[in-house]
Amino acid sequence: MGAEPEISETVLSIDGVSKLFGSAPAVDRASLTVRRGEVFTLLGPSGCGKTTTLRLVAGLERPDAGEITLRGRVVASVSHRRFVGPHKRNLGMVFQSYAIWPHMTVFENVAYPLELRGMKRALVRDKVARVLDLVGLGGMEIRPATLLSGGQMQRLALCRALVYEPDMLLLDEPFSNLDAKLREQMRLEVKLLQRRLGITVLFVTHDQVEALSLSDRIAVMHRGRVEQVGAPRSLYEQPASPFVRDFLGQTVILTGRVTTLGSDHGPAGVTVQMSGALAGCTLAGRTASGALAPGAPAHVAIRPEDILVVPDGLVVPDGLVVPDGQVSPDGSGRREANQLLGTIDALSFVGDHYEARVTLGGELSIVLFLPRACEWREGQRLQLGFPPEMVSVWPV
Amino acid sequence: MAGLTDVLAVARPRRIELSTVLCSGVLAVVALCVVFPLVLVALQSFQVAPPGQPARYGLDGWRAALTEPGLRSALVNTLTVTFVRQLLSLPLAVLIAWLLARTDLPGRSWIEFAFWAAFFLPPFTVTLSWILLLDPEYGLINTSLGKLPFMGTGPFNIYSFWGIVWVHIVTGSLTVKVILLTPAFRNMNSAFEEASRVAGAGTLRTALRITMPVMAPVILSVLLLGTMVSLQTFEVEQVLGLPFRFFVFSTTIYDLLVTRVPRYDAATALAVLVLAAMLPLVFAQQWLTRGGRYTTVTGQFQSRVHRLGRWRWPVTCLTVGVVLIVLGVPVLFALLGTFMKLFGFFHVQDPWTLANWQTVLGDELFLRSLHNTLVLSVGTAVAAIVVHALIAYIIVRTTYAGRGLLDLVSWLPFTVPGIILGLALLWLFLGVGFLRPLYGTTALLIIAGVIAGMPLGVQIIRSGLMQLGGELEEASRIAGASWWVTYRRIVLRLMAPTLLAVGMITFVGAARNIGNFALLTTSANRPLSILQLDYVAQRKLEEAVVVACIIMFVSLAGALLARLLGLRGGSLG
Repeated sequence: MGAEPEISETVLSIDGVSKLFGSAPAVDRASLTVRRGEVFTLLGPSGCGKTTTLRLVAGLERPDAGEITLRGRVVASVSHRRFVGPHKRNLGMVFQSYAIWPHMTVFENVAYPLELRGMKRALVRDKVARVLDLVGLGGMEIRPATLLSGGQMQRLALCRALVYEPDMLLLDEPFSNLDAKLREQMRLEVKLLQRRLGITVLFVTHDQVEALSLSDRIAVMHRGRVEQVGAPRSLYEQPASPFVRDFLGQTVILTGRVTTLGSDHGPAGVTVQMSGALAGCTLAGRTASGALAPGAPAHVAIRPEDILVVPDGLVVPDGLVVPDGQVSPDGSGRREANQLLGTIDALSFVGDHYEARVTLGGELSIVLFLPRACEWREGQRLQLGFPPEMVSVWPV
Repeated sequence: MAGLTDVLAVARPRRIELSTVLCSGVLAVVALCVVFPLVLVALQSFQVAPPGQPARYGLDGWRAALTEPGLRSALVNTLTVTFVRQLLSLPLAVLIAWLLARTDLPGRSWIEFAFWAAFFLPPFTVTLSWILLLDPEYGLINTSLGKLPFMGTGPFNIYSFWGIVWVHIVTGSLTVKVILLTPAFRNMNSAFEEASRVAGAGTLRTALRITMPVMAPVILSVLLLGTMVSLQTFEVEQVLGLPFRFFVFSTTIYDLLVTRVPRYDAATALAVLVLAAMLPLVFAQQWLTRGGRYTTVTGQFQSRVHRLGRWRWPVTCLTVGVVLIVLGVPVLFALLGTFMKLFGFFHVQDPWTLANWQTVLGDELFLRSLHNTLVLSVGTAVAAIVVHALIAYIIVRTTYAGRGLLDLVSWLPFTVPGIILGLALLWLFLGVGFLRPLYGTTALLIIAGVIAGMPLGVQIIRSGLMQLGGELEEASRIAGASWWVTYRRIVLRLMAPTLLAVGMITFVGAARNIGNFALLTTSANRPLSILQLDYVAQRKLEEAVVVACIIMFVSLAGALLARLLGLRGGSLG
């Protein structure tokens, strides 16, 4: 009873799918499900298997293991020796190169899939006009497709993929050939269109900004495997693996040894004695994953934007003054204990903020973004606050 | 990855798909037509019994090929002619290609087109034209120079080693290199040259120190390709060498086979020797093109040209002069020759006549050959489009395991000199029982034509398909079209100009081919190209030049059409 709605909500499920190229696995036992109406993104560096996964869903590649189900219909299954061709899957796809057929006009490009479905001419004309209007290409029907600009080709490709109301829309890095401004605009347009039509989207990108801003859920892929699936924010804030942590956003990583587990920050709390240039300092945080024991080496990770930066000698927000040049020596885990001192080594103004390379303890350097609202200068000393709830501790 | 391999070992039963079977079928047929005949040739070289007698195996053929003075000198002559003509044509070709691609030479696109047209001139026709000019007794240049006070007789003799070398250079050695090198030079990143200019080097120094070394792999590759192409023809030596008993390997093989008691063993042994000598060239060429040594000269970038400055006009004169020699002279004199009462005799009273055309066009022999040529050329073109497109599609678009092998096999005919391919096919069709009825038919010539045109045809379609990109087809599949609908409505439609161009050049190739057909024709299937050779053998030069002129105009029209369809020199390499 409880499982019933779950199944009807699932548009796509990939179950233990692998694809080998030669003997190297491009996709390695990947499993995931996509629900109706969501934008699901496959994110990862190039060569991680995301595009191959998309092509497996589209039917452009045959899996070497596993099963793919579209709306309850098994479209590819190795164990049942079943494979449904791409033309019988009722999917829409926008290619990286758009793949606009150059020997056809705008109209012919969009009408092609409708013709293949045996639709009456009048209805075809009507449907094409409506979908072209939807993206602002109305009135361009008779134009040769090769005369369109990059953004127009992108819209045309989108029309062609949407006009026959496919069960799911596949997007293969569709924005990567556009310039930065147009890319942002198209991203927004696609998002609005998706919300309006309520269509399910499987989206492939290596661009994390694109992924985070467009997706309802993201699967981060690495070496053919699905590393983690989750909503953008939870992936960003609670990465389950060092790969996801480092791939999404910036991370400052410091090394040390675990001193105590389960401190006053709760059972997940952990305190780390820093090593190397920061020897003598301690930082508190929460454990990111198990397998941490007292005395074990650990990585301390924090997003640079979570570090509280205050010019040295000023009063920190909770009213404490840190004596000049000293990091609070005790590892008690109190807030002021989670502070380090740094010096701005190199400073560059990049428009909406400053980018600063800050050295810690004389050797280690990290990159921080500083707000434009304050005056900063090279050589300036900074107090860096590491709020324990933002600090995660990882086994090495 | 052991875990994954285990999973797959269980979950992946070997499936034999229909597409794999089809691809293997294509590979098998192509290999049967290309590789198997060559194997037969090699085997035949050990079969020493005279024709009609029971087979006997021995080394007599090989002994003859290695020791008989006639056969040995044929090999030496082949080597010398090939070496000298490549040595002389390469520097000029590099210079012209550089001028066309990297400088502001006036009218360079027209000049490039002229070289393209000249590449399509049939060597046989060009040979006849140059006989008109350089015949030792009545050649126009010789008689003109002979009138000068200090000259006794004309200095030139086309029936000589240097005559043969000269005709070879102007018929193919130069033009093929120019049309292959020009696009390569054009695609070179001009930043290399600009860096050199900024560093203080002049145009000439930049060309010699930067451009040439950067292009060295390309130039070498073109040199090797040119060498292979140059061994395809045998008509030049057949026409010019016979009068002074100068034989190269191809004319020797022909000679050994068309005498009253054919010496198959010696002919095939000679063929195997030549093929063996080609192997290093083949490997070197493959190594040069496959190893990524072109990486410096690919990619998208602005390619700017040098200003020639005060060299502009001298250089233009030189280039236009070369164009006149490779294109103007042959076309003009082949045409003039057809109107001469006595071929080559300009100084007789009233030398002009229309009778040659009337004789030839009314000749029953000519009409039958014309019919044969038309059937042959159209058949070859149609068959080539289908076969070459199929092979190219398998190579580019499928994941078929044997596609690399198919690629290699389809390229192989390029490396096999025309007369040897003809010999090999002769053996295939005489030696394999169920194919024997095809001997003496036009179908046999069509097969030979398709095989001879295969390297070029597959290469052109292949590069067209690669430019097309797979996504256009995949978009159609996803939109709901089956493979066949996609092939018809997307691939064929987009490839139509390329396929027509391939059909065009295969048509021309079949119409003018002599080397591949010489051993395969009988009086029943003789096409025009062989008829003109027979006319020459009968010393009917007036008739021969009329036929040669017709073939030339067919070739030029084909070249022009192929060009209009978008074919460029770059897609030939």
